[in-house]
Amino acid sequence: MVDPAPSPEDVPEPQAEHDADAGEGELERTIGLVGGLAIGIGTMIGAGIFVFPGLAAENAGPAAALSFAIGAVIALLVALPASELATAMPRSGGGYFFISRGLGTGPGAIVGLGLWLGLVFASAFYLVGLGSYAGQVFTEAGFALPISPAVPLGVAFGVGLTVLSLFGTENTAALQNAIVVVLLAILTLFLGYGSLDALGVFGAESTPEQFFPPGGLLPVLQTAALVFTSYLGFAQIATVAGDIKQPSRNLPLAMVGSVILVGVFYVVTIFVATSAFGSARLGEFGETAMVEVAREFVGLPGALAILFAGLLATFSSANASILSASRAVYAVSRDDLIPEAASRINLKYGTPHVALGLAGGPIVVLTATGQVELLAEVASFLHLVMYGLICVALIQLRREGPDWYTPSFRCPAGFAVAGVGALASFGLIAFMQPASIVIGILIMVASYGWYRYYATDVELKGDF
Amino acid sequence: MSDTDRPTVLVPLEVLEGESLPEGTPRLLANAHVVLLGYHVIPGQTATEQAREQFGERAMKKLEEFATTLTTAGATVDTRLVFTHEAQTTIDRIIYEHDCLAVLVPNGTEGLSSVLVAVRGTVGLERTARLVGGLFADTDVEVVLYHILGEDESEDDAETLLEGATGRLVDQGMDADAVETLIERPETPIDAIARHAEDHGAVVMGETDPSVTTYVFGMPSEQVAERFLGPVLVVQRERPASDEAA
Repeated sequence: MVDPAPSPEDVPEPQAEHDADAGEGELERTIGLVGGLAIGIGTMIGAGIFVFPGLAAENAGPAAALSFAIGAVIALLVALPASELATAMPRSGGGYFFISRGLGTGPGAIVGLGLWLGLVFASAFYLVGLGSYAGQVFTEAGFALPISPAVPLGVAFGVGLTVLSLFGTENTAALQNAIVVVLLAILTLFLGYGSLDALGVFGAESTPEQFFPPGGLLPVLQTAALVFTSYLGFAQIATVAGDIKQPSRNLPLAMVGSVILVGVFYVVTIFVATSAFGSARLGEFGETAMVEVAREFVGLPGALAILFAGLLATFSSANASILSASRAVYAVSRDDLIPEAASRINLKYGTPHVALGLAGGPIVVLTATGQVELLAEVASFLHLVMYGLICVALIQLRREGPDWYTPSFRCPAGFAVAGVGALASFGLIAFMQPASIVIGILIMVASYGWYRYYATDVELKGDF
Repeated sequence: MSDTDRPTVLVPLEVLEGESLPEGTPRLLANAHVVLLGYHVIPGQTATEQAREQFGERAMKKLEEFATTLTTAGATVDTRLVFTHEAQTTIDRIIYEHDCLAVLVPNGTEGLSSVLVAVRGTVGLERTARLVGGLFADTDVEVVLYHILGEDESEDDAETLLEGATGRLVDQGMDADAVETLIERPETPIDAIARHAEDHGAVVMGETDPSVTTYVFGMPSEQVAERFLGPVLVVQRERPASDEAA
């Protein structure tokens, strides 16, 4: 054997291009910085730009831009501690892995099962968005449909994507990179033109309506809680940490970079959208409001370009989330929190068919409800709980300083950033609708109950 | 023969897809230092860890069986097992890490009385000679050096080239009587190599730089291997010392 089994202090070896394990084989790291950024951006951008602007503007007016900015700041406060943890534990499973190893099995189980269901809710949300855009295609083509096709189409896409990931040999990475490049090109052109127009370069400056909505800051924060779903993608980068080359450099850059980039795009999008139409009007357009904004600025070609971009973006978000949900199932199954059968791989197709089914099944059911805002908020709730606990795990691990904890990236002002990050993550939950909070709490209680029933003897703290 | 003189040859096997050590390989590589790479390609939607957990032990067991077979035949062996999303990335990394002189396209062979060596020019000749000499110097295997004439290349130039090549093989310990030469000007070089290969137990040829042609038709070594259906040893270019893939 060439590589001896790694000794404990070698485990977080930052520059290792592969995990050496003489007993059972090595794992090739195949995702570079661009691939990491593409995963983050590709997962996030679908929601913030192509689903939320109408809903957000209806609730908070032009100040919805502030709601998106608040979300970006919270996401950054979590992305920095998450980067440190990911370089100390560059393994698949992301946030669940950090929390179960840093805080123990109980919190780990809540987050692990919560992450699976959180991604299930997020996928359903993206699928309804995808269905809305696919339905808009019919509208543009001049077909009048008796019922809104968004939900049936979303369900169809959900079934299709699950089947595809079961049997297809997806080259997910290459596809994701290409989609993100096309999206960023279309958006940069469109938002650049829209911003100049709104500032009066091409004629009269549009008079912006009053920045804050009638309710003041409260609707802004409520909207921030709603649209936080737009920032869930950066944590997906940590779930493939085991595949990322040079993790100590590429993980922090990809997580922080993708949050900053999409944050800027979101804020500009709201600015452009609210300068084209009044907030109430935007709200009427619903999920596909951006198509109307584009039509207002550049006519039919613009509408078609944004429609195409919206299809791509929601498709890529939905696909990425379904795959992440299946990886979350694998992560908890590997640790014996749920039966081992859930992580079985089909040798012929090389895919985890049970885990994909556990992701795809509930996703399709939830998509059928068509409750966009509820789906988004429950997804955000479950992720925010995880984000808050990621910050707590960082503080805990820095205090305890176990031997194996040797991150190669250290979050600047770690305690302060993680402290504020935890407070902000938990605090944002308070601004959600009561129904979302109730569902979120029920899922957490059920996850903890399952842990007490099935996995009390599993000890994960500090376990590698 | 001391271990440091042994030419390092990479043998990549897709071990879980049922690929096993082809017939004749142990004899072909008896004097080599073999890097036995078992790899398994996993689709993007599956974590490599997940596959390792489930299949690692089984794959490793198979690989060790093959390693024993090679060792019994006389080779020294390093075993690597890698779960990957991209086979080529893995193969390139292992070539680099072990500084492999050649990669074997693993096909079976029955007799091994002679080997066809395609010599393109002086570039890389030294590495080809080290491989051929290292593998076959102390055996009764005959070597045929084959050169395809370029458009404005004279037969004299080619003879000089192959004489030089023979000299290098003799330096590596080959018996001069065991080396023959063959010079031709065929229409399609790849067909010609594959056609001649049928009279031999194995082919040795050089690596080709990737280009549009190789992108469309595949690497010449792959094309030869597909037609010849026997083992092809592809001599690798020297890797630059700081070849750090970003």
